[in-house]
Amino acid sequence: MKTHLRTRAFLLCFLPFAILMTTSFWMIQRFVQATVREGLHTSLRESQIAIANIHAKGDLRNSRFLRIAGENTALKAGVELLRQNPKSSDARSTVEDQLRELGEHMGFDFMLVSAPGGDPLAGVARQGSQLVPLNLSNLDGNRSGFLLLDGRTFQVASVPVDVNNENIGSLTVGEFFDFSDLSTQVVLVRNGRVIESNIPNVSSHDIEKALTPCRPQAECDLRLNGTNWISLPMESYGSGYALLSLDNVDQATRPIQAKLHKLFLQLAFASVLIALLCSLGSSTSIVNPIAAVVSHLRNAVSTGRLGEIETQRSSIVEIQELAHIYNEAAISVQAAGQRLESAYLQFVGSLANALDARDQYTAGHSRRVSELSCALATALQMPPEDVERVRIGALLHDIGKIGVSDSVLQKPGRLTDDEFDQVKQHPVIGRRILEGVQGFAEYLNAVELHHENWNGTGYPHGQRETETAIDARIIHVADAYDAMTTDRSYRQGMTHEKALSILIDNAGIQFDPEIVATFVMLPREILTGQPLVENSLQLMEEALVG
Amino acid sequence: MRLRNLLLQCFILATAAYLPAQAITGTIVIKRKLTRPNVTPNVSMYQRGTSVKLGRDSEQDPIAYERSRVVIYLEGVASGPRTTGDSPAPQVQQLDRRFIPDLVVVPVGSTVSFPNMDPIFHNIYSLSKPKSFDLGNYDKGQMRNVTFPKPGVVEIYCHLHPNMQATVVVTPNRWFARPDRSGQYRIADVPPGQYTLVAWHKSAGFFRKSVVIGDGHDATADFFIPLDIDPNQEARQAHDLEHNAGSR
Repeated sequence: MKTHLRTRAFLLCFLPFAILMTTSFWMIQRFVQATVREGLHTSLRESQIAIANIHAKGDLRNSRFLRIAGENTALKAGVELLRQNPKSSDARSTVEDQLRELGEHMGFDFMLVSAPGGDPLAGVARQGSQLVPLNLSNLDGNRSGFLLLDGRTFQVASVPVDVNNENIGSLTVGEFFDFSDLSTQVVLVRNGRVIESNIPNVSSHDIEKALTPCRPQAECDLRLNGTNWISLPMESYGSGYALLSLDNVDQATRPIQAKLHKLFLQLAFASVLIALLCSLGSSTSIVNPIAAVVSHLRNAVSTGRLGEIETQRSSIVEIQELAHIYNEAAISVQAAGQRLESAYLQFVGSLANALDARDQYTAGHSRRVSELSCALATALQMPPEDVERVRIGALLHDIGKIGVSDSVLQKPGRLTDDEFDQVKQHPVIGRRILEGVQGFAEYLNAVELHHENWNGTGYPHGQRETETAIDARIIHVADAYDAMTTDRSYRQGMTHEKALSILIDNAGIQFDPEIVATFVMLPREILTGQPLVENSLQLMEEALVG
Repeated sequence: MRLRNLLLQCFILATAAYLPAQAITGTIVIKRKLTRPNVTPNVSMYQRGTSVKLGRDSEQDPIAYERSRVVIYLEGVASGPRTTGDSPAPQVQQLDRRFIPDLVVVPVGSTVSFPNMDPIFHNIYSLSKPKSFDLGNYDKGQMRNVTFPKPGVVEIYCHLHPNMQATVVVTPNRWFARPDRSGQYRIADVPPGQYTLVAWHKSAGFFRKSVVIGDGHDATADFFIPLDIDPNQEARQAHDLEHNAGSR
């Protein structure tokens, strides 16, 4: 897959960081939650045990009161009566009446006397606001703990009724088992079946199902309606009855959990944000120097010049090394290019020389024009690289004359129109020659346009004034001067002054007046004879190679 | 001395048969309540939140009630068997887990019947000295009789119902009376002589007075129950107590 280095660096930096951070926060959160949950578990358990203890104490106290009830002489007499008249309904109603009175005085909802064997003898239970006689046939055998009667649950306790150290029966008293009195959430089960619960919005069936895997006398974790609960046996009674205390752990831990969740979410977000910023920073610091190198190279591609990179900029060793190697490569490429260019120049120079040498009169023309143009450009305060361009352009300006036959070039006397047309082709031919050579693009103007006139009467395009490149305009003046001052087969060369006056006369017509004005101001010894530099080609070579 | 008194009494009684009998009249004066109300609601009232009416006479004048609870009789004079023997034996019913009536006065040797009118059992007993008995459990419609051979106050209870309570006052003779609600009483046909007149109230106890029945005129004896204590006497008692304590 093709990706940017920046993307890759960012991803490689950010992803592990983010994943590591998120995972560790998640794990810490889980751990803290588990710890909190365990702590709550413990406190719930303790509170439930405390409640169970209070219940046990209450039961103990109740049993003491119950003993007093068992010593009721009237009741004893009643039990005796029942024993003597077991079949008598009046005897039963006598005892029922007693139980009713006793029950009302002591505030019980259930009263029962049983024979020593446990057979019920007479009893009353509250129905509405009254204690009414019990139907003894549908009474279960439980005499302590819980007792189910017509779908109602009574919490009952029994006490023996003794007369003269002889047990004549037992008294069972009970109260409605009212869960609403209990502050905790409680479930009454019997052999795994839920008989009653005070947990709101949860059906007994659901509780039963959730309690199925729990052992009856052990603490148990269970899930109820998608939340976690803990169940603790509070008390167990005979006949499979057990009272379980249930508590919603999730509800208890929810506030702390929410707080933790928020805290960890914020931390995770912050750390991921930091990771993001760090990754961005690091990827940028990795990529930027490379990008600088790349943009430099891109620039080099577009300009064709291999410049050196400032290596001090980057603090990265590898980048410095890269830049250094690049620089070395650039230098060697530059040197190779310059060598190539100089080889071209030498070739072209010798071509120009050969061209000049075709005619004894024009011998050294190119060199002289080059020198004059160079002087002119310097006088016009052009920058050195422009002066160099002008110098080489001037050296090559007549290269196109290769394509003009000797008969025309060396013809003494006036040229016919055809011949002149042939001569007029030489800037275009020169351009064509140099066009194909890489690195000679900047000299094309000098070669092609050095016969354009200021007033637009020149050739090949008839350009006017500053339409023509400055190189060509300079060479135009220098070329004209040299042509006028050198001897030809058909005439003598003009004097310096004469040539200057002709130039001045034609300034603004044939020549750029400004250049002519500069030209005439040049020192005389530069213009006449004495070359400014003895061997310019050799010097130029040296400059290029060095 | 005692022998002479006895002889005198025998003489009086012997002559009484021949002399025209006179009545003893008087007033029982009670100024405050003496009996604590005893509440026994009936069966239907055993309900939570139902107001239970106080027991008997709560709407009546409580002082008048107290007066009616007094028994007056002559002490120390034995009379023969009741002359009105053919009248039915007095009854103490068990109804709505109460004894009705809860105060019966009979001369010695009388029989009182205890019929059970309730649909439940009762077990009537007494531990009083003059007559202790236990009639055992018996059901509705059954009746047991008790004869009281000795004079005295017999407290009667029910084993099954501690709230039930009645009193049978067995007088030594046939001269007894119960005041009306205004406190007036009258013992008729008393032969002339000197007697000890006893007024008894369950809460206040016994009050005795000597009365002399002359020939041709009634005797009058008023009782103030309970006795208003003479402040002088109280001070003397206090002094005695102090003296006794000091001498020890």
